[in-house]
Amino acid sequence: MSVREPRTFAIFGFATTHTALAAEQLLKDLGVPVTPIPAPKSLGGALCGIALRIDPLDAERAELLLERADLSPRARGEIEDV
Amino acid sequence: MSADKRAVPVAYLDHGATSWPKPQPVIDAVVRALTELGGNPGRGAYAMALDASRAIFEARRACAQLLGVADSRDLLFQSGCTAGCNLMLKGTLKPGDRVVVGSMEHNAVARPLAHLARLGIEIAVVKADRTGLIDPDDVERAVRQEPTRAVVCQHASNLTGTIQLVGDLADIAHEHGAIMLVDGAQGVGHLEVDIAALGVDAYAASGHKGMLGPQGVGLLYLAPGLEADVQIEGGTGAGGSESLEMPAERPDRYEAGTANTPGIVGLGAAAGFLAGEGAAQRDLEADLARRLHEGILGIEGFRVLGPPPGVPRVPIVSAVHERVDGDRIAFVLDRTYGIAARAGLHCAPWAHDTVGTFECGAVRFGVGWGTTGAHIELALRALHEIVSS
Repeated sequence: MSVREPRTFAIFGFATTHTALAAEQLLKDLGVPVTPIPAPKSLGGALCGIALRIDPLDAERAELLLERADLSPRARGEIEDV
Repeated sequence: MSADKRAVPVAYLDHGATSWPKPQPVIDAVVRALTELGGNPGRGAYAMALDASRAIFEARRACAQLLGVADSRDLLFQSGCTAGCNLMLKGTLKPGDRVVVGSMEHNAVARPLAHLARLGIEIAVVKADRTGLIDPDDVERAVRQEPTRAVVCQHASNLTGTIQLVGDLADIAHEHGAIMLVDGAQGVGHLEVDIAALGVDAYAASGHKGMLGPQGVGLLYLAPGLEADVQIEGGTGAGGSESLEMPAERPDRYEAGTANTPGIVGLGAAAGFLAGEGAAQRDLEADLARRLHEGILGIEGFRVLGPPPGVPRVPIVSAVHERVDGDRIAFVLDRTYGIAARAGLHCAPWAHDTVGTFECGAVRFGVGWGTTGAHIELALRALHEIVSS
């Protein structure tokens, strides 16, 4: 079993689960890989619910796509993950 | 089996109260929700909670697509149309406001308005004609009299089947600076409803009547920019749990507490079903209701409430006999013939008062999905025999 090195991901937090899922669907439909994760404290405040984890190289494009669809994240951050 | 042990009617004709049976996709969706979607939607990122969240997300989109709502976040899941009407009315009206409302409203509207009247909201009632129709000219006269915050009207009557001219009423409301609030309990499913085309500001819908979904779920559309005061506060799961204020964003602002996942997922399946089958179903219902209407008129001593044959109505046919009371008719229909129909005032005393049946009530037949020509023939034969005996 190989062990992957931790690396940095961008994370987006959303005001509602609905917006998070709409963002997930939009990005996946447009070929941007995203993974729903429990919203981490690093997003600021005691957020609960889900956040989207995304490759940092895709983050800028993803945010632009979300903004155009009125699905902008409410919080942005980074996370070390495998 | 004796009549009082017979749970399943031979002919179910109470679609005005609730639809039965349900289409198989609705049943399948509810079973899937209960067997596979066990997580609490919006309350976790583990796979089963996410699946539940996604199912609700998809159900909301399916309902929005069916109803012509551009942004599904403006379509709120409620525990039913009554809850939606309460939020719509109590959330948008304040002491000192004036409301113009039609006289055919169900208690889902009349009772919240009575409560609001006690808080200092002025209620001006516009009386419908004997067919149950609210004349837009009468509404315009009422709105013009004094500054008015809202016009409130049903989409269709649960007593007479009358279809109100909601789009015209919305135009009148907006011309006079008022908002248009609609109780669509009897509309969606039996009518093709395009909320954007109607131009209303709020529209409450039942999930379990013409929409064919499960009981315990309904919808409320709030137009973008129309803010309603929150009526129920609590957990919403997603961002902002640290705050004691409800989130500003829809739908969470108006959906505190754990969602009714089986009901909502079933309703989403129903919306998908209606998107494919709705037009044909509406044609069939209209034809069956017309046959029932004309057939009852052919039995001596009956009069049918609402518009005459040939005028479009939702498939509700209520009748009064000159000699036999409605409650007696409904009882014999059930016990002798296995026909489910509803007598009484139908939670609509205003409407009965308007059409002159407050003292006697009526027996109401609601046609819907699953109704057949044989059911109509059986009902007509039974009515003939009951009033002839």
